[in-house]
Amino acid sequence: MTRFLIRRLLRAVLTILIVVVAAFVALRTTSDPAMVILGPDAPPDALAAFRKAWGLDQPLVIQFASYAWQILHGEFGKSMLDGADVLQKVTARVGVTLEIMVPALILGVVFGVALGTLAALNRGRWLDRLMMFGAVAGFSVPGFVLGLVLVLIFAVNLHWLPSGGNDSWTSALLPVFTLAVGWAAILARFTRSAMIEVLDQPYIRTGSAKGLLWHEVVLRHALPNASIPVVTMVGFMVGGLLAGAVVTESVFSWPGLGQLIVTSVTSRDVSVVQCVLVLVATTMVVSNMLVDLLYTWLDPRMKEAQA
Amino acid sequence: MSADVTLSLPERRRLRLPAMPASIAAASLWILLMVAVALCAHWLQPYTITQMDLSARLQPPVLFGGAWAHPLGTDQLGRDVLSRLIVSIRVSLTLAFCATLLGVAFGALMGLAAAHFRGPVEQVVLVLIDVQAALPFIILALSALAFFGNSWTLLVFLLAFYGWERHARVVRGLAMAANGQGYMMAVRQLGAGPGRLYARHLLPNIAATLVVSATLAFPEVILAASGLSFLGLGIQPPNTSLGNMVGYGRSYLSTAPWVLLAPAVVIVLTTLSISLLGDWLRDQLDTSGR
Amino acid sequence: MPLLELRSVSRTYARGGGLFQAPTPVHALSDVSLSVARGKILGIVGESGCGKSTTGRIALGLEAPDGGEVLFDGAPMPPEGSAAWRALRRRMQLVFQDPLGALDKRMSVAAQIAEPLEIHAIGTQETRAARVAELLRAVGLRPDQGEAQPLALSGGQRQRVVLARALASEPELLVCDEPVSALDVSIQAQVVNILLGLQRQLNLAMLFISHDLKLVGTIADEVAVMYLGRVVERGTPAQLFAAPRHPYTQVLVSSIPDPFRTTPRPRLSGEPPDPGNRPSGCAFHPRCARASEHCRRTDPGLSLRADGRAVACHHDLQETPA
Repeated sequence: MTRFLIRRLLRAVLTILIVVVAAFVALRTTSDPAMVILGPDAPPDALAAFRKAWGLDQPLVIQFASYAWQILHGEFGKSMLDGADVLQKVTARVGVTLEIMVPALILGVVFGVALGTLAALNRGRWLDRLMMFGAVAGFSVPGFVLGLVLVLIFAVNLHWLPSGGNDSWTSALLPVFTLAVGWAAILARFTRSAMIEVLDQPYIRTGSAKGLLWHEVVLRHALPNASIPVVTMVGFMVGGLLAGAVVTESVFSWPGLGQLIVTSVTSRDVSVVQCVLVLVATTMVVSNMLVDLLYTWLDPRMKEAQA
Repeated sequence: MSADVTLSLPERRRLRLPAMPASIAAASLWILLMVAVALCAHWLQPYTITQMDLSARLQPPVLFGGAWAHPLGTDQLGRDVLSRLIVSIRVSLTLAFCATLLGVAFGALMGLAAAHFRGPVEQVVLVLIDVQAALPFIILALSALAFFGNSWTLLVFLLAFYGWERHARVVRGLAMAANGQGYMMAVRQLGAGPGRLYARHLLPNIAATLVVSATLAFPEVILAASGLSFLGLGIQPPNTSLGNMVGYGRSYLSTAPWVLLAPAVVIVLTTLSISLLGDWLRDQLDTSGR
Repeated sequence: MPLLELRSVSRTYARGGGLFQAPTPVHALSDVSLSVARGKILGIVGESGCGKSTTGRIALGLEAPDGGEVLFDGAPMPPEGSAAWRALRRRMQLVFQDPLGALDKRMSVAAQIAEPLEIHAIGTQETRAARVAELLRAVGLRPDQGEAQPLALSGGQRQRVVLARALASEPELLVCDEPVSALDVSIQAQVVNILLGLQRQLNLAMLFISHDLKLVGTIADEVAVMYLGRVVERGTPAQLFAAPRHPYTQVLVSSIPDPFRTTPRPRLSGEPPDPGNRPSGCAFHPRCARASEHCRRTDPGLSLRADGRAVACHHDLQETPA
């Protein structure tokens, strides 16, 4: 178990390291931020001064060393565009993104698990087929299409809700709903197949044969066992929370991390992009690792296999 | 010998495709229609996609008071929506198809390499899979497109990266399982090299699973591609794609929703159809395979 | 000079083990010496888990021994997967227990029989087709059955296909690992007869592995009885059947059904053997009726007797006990 833990930790660290290096090298070698930010007509000495100020005139290895040194101290530098502290800029947006992501995830999990369980219990009947068709449809509709249709109905035609921005709590409703539909669809399918697998197990059938009430069997025995793969899936979703809303935020002009990524990418604000990449990759790797560990802890079979 | 004849009959029957439910038949029809449109786009489009008619801007579709000259209406520059839709279907499907194919090929190669060499090679592949899983596609694509410049090739490669790690996982698992099976060992002990082993024996045996895996990935690639185009980072004008049309039509959401709804409906129906077909194929494989 | 020779071969697997637990070594084979001459059949008999299949795999070089050496035609076995090893496949072949598992279900049987010819570049396109037809006939199938997929054939027919494929490259050594135990009893005899006919015709050396002493006894020139990774007795079938010297052989011989038996059968007592937990001394002692204190402490070792047989027992049944 300890050895598994150490190996998993090493792989996580290695992954983050590769992301940091790859992002750094790719971003520094492909374009000249000085040119992009100051414009092609900027005088040569202004370009030179900009490069010197940001250390862009140093060899790449030196640049990386100082960058890595900064990161290790929790410093992500300043935005090349406006000189603001990158980490503050990014973390401020993280909060805004989470404002729609967290309620959406909760809604998605609640509805996804409930509908998936219901479908599994009615396997093969029309309710099951209807819900599974709905689930496939749910993730076949891209977020931007669903979002725009919702805007068309509730903002343009009915004037009930704002079409975008972050002015009142009502502006969060449409983006939250849009995101929740996709997650609920994925989780409903996932829960259904996990539940069906558990319901087919002999011990469940024994339980109901012994005369236990059906809802007791489902709640006490089937759901806890089916929860293992579902929890894993939710864990992966949590890992993707920060990056999951790029398109949705764009549809609703929600000023979150996704919007920041799009603007800093188009304006070649290298230090912001780098910070976001590292942050997103780290959340993803850490949550993937936690999911792995959780899995090992929840599932006794895995414990044995690793021991 | 007569006993053998009766033996072989049920086997044959089992291999035949079972009857399709109506939804799958409808999905297949839609996919066929889309493929036909993509192949014949050149002859089907009534106008060219850049042909502007500034006197007939934002015309509604036929059933909403428009004229038959533009069955699906026109956009803000007076370009025919139907023509643009037809060309967009061709562009988006071609892009997604190339990317999926490339992704499956790359993933399969990495999975095979991991299963064949084991040891360090396998560890490298596993780390690459981790890295891929750690970088959300949309962010990776955004950065790459913005910093490397936009090109068709880069777009195909980027989209190919979307999901390669899943195919790699699938192939690695299948190859490792097959290596432990009798027929692979039998061929190896005949003296076969890895080329014959994998190309002639392993690939045909795992092809069905790989096709299903690709079918399930295809709609996601379409969605990812149209998402990028929607953000303005996919196919660049004057060329057009389904995501592009939605993205640019967005500004006319309140005045001319048809510009946006026509491509949106095509995206949804296409991904839905392929997903349904992929699910169905997978279920068939699960029940008939092992 | 024998075609195949195993010289005190040993093979140990590691089983289990974890962070706080060292893996248990499982001695699949220890100090096994065997040899097969051209045109002869050596039978290997024993219960499952006695190491007979491992012996077959090591004899073919599919697995490397941890100790001892394997000589084929006087030369040591090249490492698995090397070019020399692959070339050597032409001269030695394996017939599997499960013919369906050993065949690619998506390929016609003719294509599979032709594979060794393609791999070892034997003949041309046309001569290969003729050779496949000839092989199909040799194993008692019609050439037109070559177009069939394995799933369309019966179990016996599949095993004939496996046999035809094994013989395609004209090998000198054939290892048969339980070749008929997965088949219906009514078909076993047919397949064995085809196997024997071809063995004589082609002057093949054969290692015939089976749990069925009666079957092995009727076809082999020499039989080695294995128990827990060791050879406990070796001799001709006639010798073993008439006068088994090791108590384990005696149990095996007497468990062959015989309607005219008058004496009671000796039975195995005690636990069935676990190769991971080998008893001290003579490994058979917990199940042996004659076991003494000496047997519990000292391993008897295989020793050659006057009649050319080899026995590993302190209480040889053919020597009057003291």
